[in-house]
Amino acid sequence: MASSTSAPGPSRLAQTHQPPPAPSTSGDSELTVPNALPAEKGIDVSVLKELAKSELIGSLNDIQGAKTLILDPALAGPLGLVTEVALLKHQAVDKMFWLEPGALNINTRNVVWLCRPKMEFMRIIADQIRSQQNNPSAAGPLVYTILLVPRATELCRKVLEDQGVMGDVTISEFKLEFIPMEEDLLSLEMEGVARDIHLNGDDTPIYYSSLALMTFQRAFGLFPRVLGKGDSAKKLADLLQRHHTSGGSQYGDIELSDQVDGLIILDRSVDWATPMCTQLTYEGMLDEFVGIKNSHIEIDAALIDANVSAPPAPSPSGAGLPSTPITKKKKHHLTSSKDRLFGDIRDSNFAVVGSKLSKVARRLEGDYGGVKNLKSVSQMKEFVGKLGGLQSEQQSLRLHTGLTELLMPITKLETFNRNLEAQQNLVAGYDPTSQLNTIEDLLNQEVDWQTVMRTAILMSLTSGGIKPKPLESFKRDFLQTYGYHHLPLLIALQDLGLLVKSPPPMNLPFSNLRRGLRLIVDDIDDSNPNDISYVYSGYAPISIRLVQCLTQKNAILSPAPTSGTGAAGEEDGVGGRGKSSGSRSEKPRAYPLSGWKGFEDVLSVLGGATVDIRQRASTGTGVGSSVVPEDNRTITTVVFFLGGCTYTEIAALRWMSRVAKGRKFLVATTGIINGNNLIESFGDDPPIALIH
Amino acid sequence: MIRDDRKLLLSSKHPGKPKIQIYTSSGLPLSTIPWDLSPPVLIHLTVTSLIVLTDEGVYRVYDLSNTASYRQYSLGSDAESGVVEAKAWEEGMVVLTGSLGWLEVRGWNGGRAIPMAAIGLTEPPSAWTLIPPDQSPTGHVQLLISTSSTIVTLDALERIDQRISRGPFSHIRVSPNGRFLALITITGALWVVSSDFGRNLSEVDIAELSEGAGMPERVEWCGDNAVVLSWGGRVVVVGPAGESLRYDHPPAVHLVGELDGLRIISSSTCEFVQKVPDCTLAVFSPGSSHPAAILYDALDHFDRKSPKADESIRSIRPDLANAVDTCVEAAGREIEVTWQRRLLKAAQFGRAFMDLYNPSDFVGMAQTLKVLNAVRYYEVGIPITYEQYIASSPSVLIAHLVSRNLHLLALRISQHLGFRPDPVLKHWATSKIARSSQNGVDPSDRGTGDDESICRAIVEKFEKEGERGVSYAEIAKKAWESGRTRLATMLLDHEPRAAEQVPLLLQMKEENIALTKAVDSGDTDLVYQVLLHLRSSLSPGDFFHLLDDSISPQLRPAVNLLQVFAKQADRGLLRDFYYQDDRRTESACLELEEAGQQDDANERLEHLRRAAKSFGESKDRLFEAKMTEDAHRLLTLQQSYERELDHKFTFSGLSVNAFAHKLLVEGFGKRAERVRNDWKVPDKRWWWIKLRALAQRRDWEGLENFARSKKSPIGYEPFVTHLLSLSPPQPTHAATFVPRCDAKARADLYVLCGDWGKAAESAKERNDRTKLE
Repeated sequence: MASSTSAPGPSRLAQTHQPPPAPSTSGDSELTVPNALPAEKGIDVSVLKELAKSELIGSLNDIQGAKTLILDPALAGPLGLVTEVALLKHQAVDKMFWLEPGALNINTRNVVWLCRPKMEFMRIIADQIRSQQNNPSAAGPLVYTILLVPRATELCRKVLEDQGVMGDVTISEFKLEFIPMEEDLLSLEMEGVARDIHLNGDDTPIYYSSLALMTFQRAFGLFPRVLGKGDSAKKLADLLQRHHTSGGSQYGDIELSDQVDGLIILDRSVDWATPMCTQLTYEGMLDEFVGIKNSHIEIDAALIDANVSAPPAPSPSGAGLPSTPITKKKKHHLTSSKDRLFGDIRDSNFAVVGSKLSKVARRLEGDYGGVKNLKSVSQMKEFVGKLGGLQSEQQSLRLHTGLTELLMPITKLETFNRNLEAQQNLVAGYDPTSQLNTIEDLLNQEVDWQTVMRTAILMSLTSGGIKPKPLESFKRDFLQTYGYHHLPLLIALQDLGLLVKSPPPMNLPFSNLRRGLRLIVDDIDDSNPNDISYVYSGYAPISIRLVQCLTQKNAILSPAPTSGTGAAGEEDGVGGRGKSSGSRSEKPRAYPLSGWKGFEDVLSVLGGATVDIRQRASTGTGVGSSVVPEDNRTITTVVFFLGGCTYTEIAALRWMSRVAKGRKFLVATTGIINGNNLIESFGDDPPIALIH
Repeated sequence: MIRDDRKLLLSSKHPGKPKIQIYTSSGLPLSTIPWDLSPPVLIHLTVTSLIVLTDEGVYRVYDLSNTASYRQYSLGSDAESGVVEAKAWEEGMVVLTGSLGWLEVRGWNGGRAIPMAAIGLTEPPSAWTLIPPDQSPTGHVQLLISTSSTIVTLDALERIDQRISRGPFSHIRVSPNGRFLALITITGALWVVSSDFGRNLSEVDIAELSEGAGMPERVEWCGDNAVVLSWGGRVVVVGPAGESLRYDHPPAVHLVGELDGLRIISSSTCEFVQKVPDCTLAVFSPGSSHPAAILYDALDHFDRKSPKADESIRSIRPDLANAVDTCVEAAGREIEVTWQRRLLKAAQFGRAFMDLYNPSDFVGMAQTLKVLNAVRYYEVGIPITYEQYIASSPSVLIAHLVSRNLHLLALRISQHLGFRPDPVLKHWATSKIARSSQNGVDPSDRGTGDDESICRAIVEKFEKEGERGVSYAEIAKKAWESGRTRLATMLLDHEPRAAEQVPLLLQMKEENIALTKAVDSGDTDLVYQVLLHLRSSLSPGDFFHLLDDSISPQLRPAVNLLQVFAKQADRGLLRDFYYQDDRRTESACLELEEAGQQDDANERLEHLRRAAKSFGESKDRLFEAKMTEDAHRLLTLQQSYERELDHKFTFSGLSVNAFAHKLLVEGFGKRAERVRNDWKVPDKRWWWIKLRALAQRRDWEGLENFARSKKSPIGYEPFVTHLLSLSPPQPTHAATFVPRCDAKARADLYVLCGDWGKAAESAKERNDRTKLE
């Protein structure tokens, strides 16, 4: 982080961008949490983080001397997940600024811009270089470097050339690809991918994804099998094949993986309906109603740190400080690696979070109560040893209780519940026409335009479009209520097939999938779920059902047994025989990754290309046989969401990892989305204010 | 090191034009380069090229495999004052200019010469030397400069005075490992210090060695252990304790310091002086009792069938592994094949007595020696030592062999060591093309058969060596550069990677194919590359035509990308494109987007007007046309109300709802009604707008009147809940609307209003026992 000497010029990086310091007692907390994660682990993806980190440090070290770093604001978040920004000081980064128009104030020899390869950035940079050249700084001639993430493009070079500064800068790349957000979640943290691919027809994200997946394969071996659904998924799979077969030494020599059994690519366009539904898991709700960006959530400082108590407490030292009524906002990194409690509740349906929290609260109370019963010095010592863990657990309990209190009033709102009811009726195919009235009522009450639009889209998707007349009057009401600047959005949604009149001009298969993929599950137990549909209280996301087509066919074909242990019922094959003697807690083994067999009908209804490729190592030594989960090994299956995924989808895959042993799902995605930011990305920016 | 295997002579003494001649270490001439520029100040060999820098600041980079061609660069304006001296390392050089400043050139690609930190010298330094990046503590180039009595460390950023008082120095030399410095003081002492000047290591008075010849002409390191001084043909090696060895090579010698020794080039010989390696000493020094010496001895006895062999082996049994390893190492240090063989045999002999031995060192050494012996052969003439080979890596050796056009040897070595052969093959193919094009034959006379046979030869060779990684495109590029378009096209067809094909296709003016290939590659940046190229090389008409008749699906992605690009960078182009292509909806959306970016109301209205017109030209977009007209009408009305009300209020930019709401809040009910009528706001929505507006005004009377005006289309519950949701809530006013609500809900609504009494009452009315509780 930049030193505290303030500098004029463009705004400095806000202090709040730093990830908050880790709790002082870190390791101890593990001891106190009894229900630790299952012992079986998938592949260790932290190596990707190290890779990105050393790449960044290397790029910076190549530039000699003190540097001023100018950062693309959209990269600050992803970067913070890879390295602590403060550590960049070791690479002689003196100061940091946001990349934005305006002259620079530089007193270091080097200027380094770190940004995505966007044309607008190149123009800003060119302006800044020129203005710097017209007013040479006291430090002598400056050395300019642009680090482009994840790669330098011809387009950027061209812009710099046109601006006449190409000769003055060095362009290099910082290959920031998959960022491990959790041990089972990788993200490219790209924004607007669904818009680029499906609305603009700009396949750049597909190409970047292919490069990132190639890097992944270099680290963990070639995917023995690549499966997928959707036209873009096909494009991506083809690119992967092409890199492998003609990518030269870089990609040609990759051995077949023995820890990963396959890659499943899901094209967002295969399942637009899921992100339109309101997410009902704890983390999903936080994203919908508080907002999670790059794993960080912005909340009142009081929720994180007890010392900053919420009401303006009479502070003993606050002599000169006037008590400000504005509550201080702070960014908090939500991660299960530092916060075990969060790991336990993040994927629960919000309905049961309250009771889980109170259980923890009671246990903590008991643990603290233990202080009264300490008899000997050694007991005392033991207790003190536990204390650190208890404190950090208490801290996270306070945080999540606070967040739950924040969400609770929202779930009590009449509009929230009516909207939810409408969504559930729509996915179930129950009386679509009257849901339109609900949508109209919500619109009249002027709830967020995103909420209204999502439910309208859900209606169009689930009931094969909306009748022309009601659709037109909905659009008119919508524009009058929320502004005419949404007109391009309406056109975009029509082009995408998200909001169309019936009969639809394109394939809208939802109603045919309800039965085929058993999307609606009536009696789901939120606290002890036996099916992935718990994430939407009764609706199973199409995307994840497709993954089940490949890995847990039974979950779709038949309702799961009521016990919470798992969906996979009967098992044929290795080791399945001893099932009857096993105890109730014995989990069934995962099936080997099979093809789409048995779901041909669903696939054809769904439309779009289907991918099923077996990859072979080119060296010829690879046997090419698909990896079968052996008795005590855990195999990892990578699920890649092209166009982003929701927290509910991640939660569902985590649930699937838990119920069967032998397979872990590793979620990889272009970014994490929710319905709001998805549809916002399809529209134009809101109009700027008029001058009077 | 490899680059030192040739001796360079600038034979300017001969009459006529000066020439640069290159020889191998074994004295075979390789090539001769005529020199037509001003006198060179630096001649430097890297693994694959020769660099010659003139005193005027111009340098040429020759490719060793083809010295007829070169690239020429200038140091730029910073070197206008000329070049005094220069020193180079493998990847760059540092130049002392006539104005007594230093410039650094990194890479041999004509990169900008970067000035190093200013030092402010008034006269040339008495000596200076360079520490290459891989040896300097900072990882960047450093200079050591002797100025007056001290030494200054200089890099790109700063100068550090080392505060030495013994200068000036006539020579400064850094040891190969970068840890020691050898300095010759002006008083005639050889002073060796650690490179941070922290430790004095030795100091020798050279007056005794010089025999009155004064300062030594040359000073070099011999490995990291000894310093070598030369006067004319006399070479003196000075050890750490001041002991010395003397060699005579009259009349003169050239010294080349190497990683592990010293090369002495005299007028008749090229010799290599090296400290005897420890492992060799262990085996061969007279009377050595090292296990390796005993093992070697045992082999001798064994060969003579003497029983002492067994005895010797027994005596070193616990140390056998050590003995074997030492023999293997010593084999590596031998130049003579006989001794190598003998030592390896001893190692093998010892191995037989061991239960467990990992043979990888042994096998590796045998493999390495095979390579070393091959390149040391006098016709190849690279007398590389084992240490040098290990330090510089086999791939460097291969690259060097390739640059000597020893392709077959390089290929065999690659295969022997299990390396990918593609760099060798690629170079082979390009030089094959270059040679066949050079033969002085007019291309037109050569006929097509030649192209075909060359192409076939190349492809066959590649396939035979089983190589898929070779880039045909690079070879094709070379063919095209030497004017053989047809051959280039033929080779390009074998290239599987579009990214490699496209740039060449563009150069060859095959735009259509380039665009198709780029689209097929899936690499959007490649598509942009082609599009931008086309945009700058074609007229707009041709450009659109190319994309227009390509509405054929396979070029669709390119058209999409063009739109993405133009939207950000070239709106005029985009407008033209939409117009030409009859894309009315897109034109209109573009206008709408621009309308939103305008901060002037009239400009915005103009864009809206144009958008409405465009929409209107498409029969599928009548609704959108109507909406855009409405938007236009709305902004016009907002503007006119603002004027009517003397600009006391701001309405522009509000939605219909917000506009009506604001008018109501500000008390302009008539005008609000007009908005309602003009936009046919449905009853329900209107009631919500008015309810909220009146509540915001706290106009309870107005709200009551409004509620009574007719039967509410939204019911009366919203009145209650909305008033309660205000901040602060208005339970008293809210409660007045409860009686008008549905009887079933009344009890609950009263509870919400905090009126428990009324709640109980209404529950009782309905005989609802459970509620009553």
